[in-house]
Amino acid sequence: MSGQELPGTERRDDVGPVLRKGVGIPASGWFDPRGRALGGFAFAVNRVTGLGLVVYLYLHLAVLSMLLRGESAWSGFLRLATNWLFLSLDVLLIFGILYHGLNGIRVALVGSGVVPDRQKALWWALGVIGTITLAFSALHIYGSR
Amino acid sequence: MSEAGHPNGSSPSTRTFRVYRYKRGDPGWRFDGFEVPVGARTTVLEALRWIQLHRDRTLALRHSCLHASCGTCGMQVNGREVLACVTPADTLGSTITVEPLANIPVLTDLVVDMRQLFERFPDEIGTVRTSDALAQASPPDGIETYERFEDCIECGLCLSACPVSATSDAYVGPAALAAAQRLLEEPRGVDPERVLDWADDPHGAWQCHAAFECTEACPSSVRPAERIMALRGALAGGRRTVATVMPA
Amino acid sequence: MTRSAPRASRDAPHVLIVGGGGTGGALAHDLTLRGIRVTLVERGEFTSGTTGRHHGLLHSGARYAVNDRESAIECIEENAILRAICPGSFEENDGLFVALTDEDMEYYADFVEGCKACGIPIEELTPQEALRMEPQLNPELKAAVRVPDATMDAMRMPLRFFATAKHGGATLYNFMEVLDLVVEGGAVTGATVRDQVTGSEGDLHADLVVNATGPWSEKIARMAGVDVPISPSPGVMLALYGRLCNMVINRMHRSGDGDIVVPQRALSVVGTSSWTVEDPDELDVPEDHVTRMRAEGAKLIPAVAQAGFRAAWSAARPLIGSREADSGRELSRTFKTIDHADDGVEGFVTITGGKATTLRGMAELCGDVISRKLGVDRPSTTRTVTTLPHTAFYAKTERRLA
Repeated sequence: MSGQELPGTERRDDVGPVLRKGVGIPASGWFDPRGRALGGFAFAVNRVTGLGLVVYLYLHLAVLSMLLRGESAWSGFLRLATNWLFLSLDVLLIFGILYHGLNGIRVALVGSGVVPDRQKALWWALGVIGTITLAFSALHIYGSR
Repeated sequence: MSEAGHPNGSSPSTRTFRVYRYKRGDPGWRFDGFEVPVGARTTVLEALRWIQLHRDRTLALRHSCLHASCGTCGMQVNGREVLACVTPADTLGSTITVEPLANIPVLTDLVVDMRQLFERFPDEIGTVRTSDALAQASPPDGIETYERFEDCIECGLCLSACPVSATSDAYVGPAALAAAQRLLEEPRGVDPERVLDWADDPHGAWQCHAAFECTEACPSSVRPAERIMALRGALAGGRRTVATVMPA
Repeated sequence: MTRSAPRASRDAPHVLIVGGGGTGGALAHDLTLRGIRVTLVERGEFTSGTTGRHHGLLHSGARYAVNDRESAIECIEENAILRAICPGSFEENDGLFVALTDEDMEYYADFVEGCKACGIPIEELTPQEALRMEPQLNPELKAAVRVPDATMDAMRMPLRFFATAKHGGATLYNFMEVLDLVVEGGAVTGATVRDQVTGSEGDLHADLVVNATGPWSEKIARMAGVDVPISPSPGVMLALYGRLCNMVINRMHRSGDGDIVVPQRALSVVGTSSWTVEDPDELDVPEDHVTRMRAEGAKLIPAVAQAGFRAAWSAARPLIGSREADSGRELSRTFKTIDHADDGVEGFVTITGGKATTLRGMAELCGDVISRKLGVDRPSTTRTVTTLPHTAFYAKTERRLA
């Protein structure tokens, strides 16, 4: 190299710290609500509902395993399962399934290049379908009580 | 952004700028606060230059063209990726937080190490393309078609805004993939198969999660997300056809 | 394909360049190719002063063909050289000079004659021909002349010289501010600098220090106790949304405000005004200049009047001459190498004036002066050496040679 170096200039070539978005821990960088747009929120909700559905899957298996413990355990659970709060969790579950499923269709249509530049329109269109379906489901669930 | 005749054009108000600071060798980073006079037309870059000239000469930041054409002054302002030179400070609230771009290593203060961005691009990125403006124009003798520079100004805003890049440094990111799609749209002597091979990678086109934050952040209408989707379309469709993404 | 000169040997003379604009970058490239060791320091990012801010015109020289033929000839020569050594760095769509008024038409004959005298190839066009090339032109135009103007990327074109110098062995420091010059026994022997990346301060020594700081060159020269007659002369430019033309559109008249529209990517840049200031760091963007840019630009291309606003900014030209000149328009756009040995200070050279189009030519002539002072007997080779692409500036190796 030409010339003499100033002490410390070699530190310029080190790899510096990397700023991450999110709430302070690097793993949260995938969601930072500041300034995000529709696509960012759609992605974040998709990820949250996805995690929720995984949790539900295990919950569901746990509930089904009650059957192994006889009829009275199951009947007790059914009483619990028909109160308002529990039914509302059912509605939340339906929302998660609908959102994750319909958004999956949106991402597939966009991501396979079928309609690469129509993500916002698709979100709203599928959002309408999802909302109507959710409303019917909610009426049915609460009506079943 | 407004220009002449802005109704609030005259009286500047004072804002607090919280500016990210880090020098090589420091144990960590910190925020410094500066009170800065801001008028209706003052940009974030002008405010930061004011700090440099009147408060702290050691503040380092990048800028060059001052009109969103070079891509050097990308940073996070209140958590949003912007080019500071075209971002008015007036509408950003009483406290304005300024940080370097995310997901690219910081060199110092608001300066990120752009080598880390350029390392991601495919080798043969184009710079000059066929001009699609004024299609009705007929170029003069000796000029076959009008040409223009590519839209991408290599600013890194998309990489900072991308939620996938936030948790995976292996992902090549939106700018590089958009450049690859541009090569498919207009190969200019480059073999499209090579570009597709490059993009057909778990850390290439397939790692995108379609959050479209890159397109929201892009200051130069590149529409990286739509281009990644078109790239995937070409890969998924047996590499036979390539969709062209039109400007927004 | 580019191959850099062999790296300078350890005992080769060492030059410290102050200023990382186009001039400094081209000089670093020129000297590196001559086997001279080069260190360059820039207080901010490279091209952050005047270089990166200009409207992006690669001059054909036609703008100067009537009043400043020396500059015009420099421009047309360098125009051809830069296209050859920086392939891919220009939108090669040519330019038009457009006459709108009877007064403009009076200038027409002088303009055509001037261009011919300076060796600038032109094509005289009827209004209809011009409108076919550029449909958005003012349909009232009286005549147009096609010239070999082009659009450049004001940052990326000069960056190629930095890239080539860097991979040739030059040491380039951005964010390295010169606090003072080291003067010993009537000679400048180095500079005291602060590294804004690490916070450390110290002296960099050299056999010769070059002041390539454009409109700041008087400030730096004063650190060595010498004077440089420079007038920082800012101009306002306006960037609008929409690519309103493909060619560079100039008004055919003596230089004036708002007489050029340069397309840049999806923007159109209207330039420029001119005045003079004391301190090139304190540039404002006068509202009335912005208004005038739009009004004058709309005479060339009516759509300028409605186009969306993207940015307005100022850049300071480094004009040679006293600050008494009122607007700066009277001063020549040529350049000057000043050997301060004539002022009694050895080891110190200032290169200033000029413009982006002539950066290589400035560097060649300044390189000749420096080589002579240092006893280096190698001519400049920058006329024929293809520069590396701007991406190579950021690459750790030369791998990107597209």
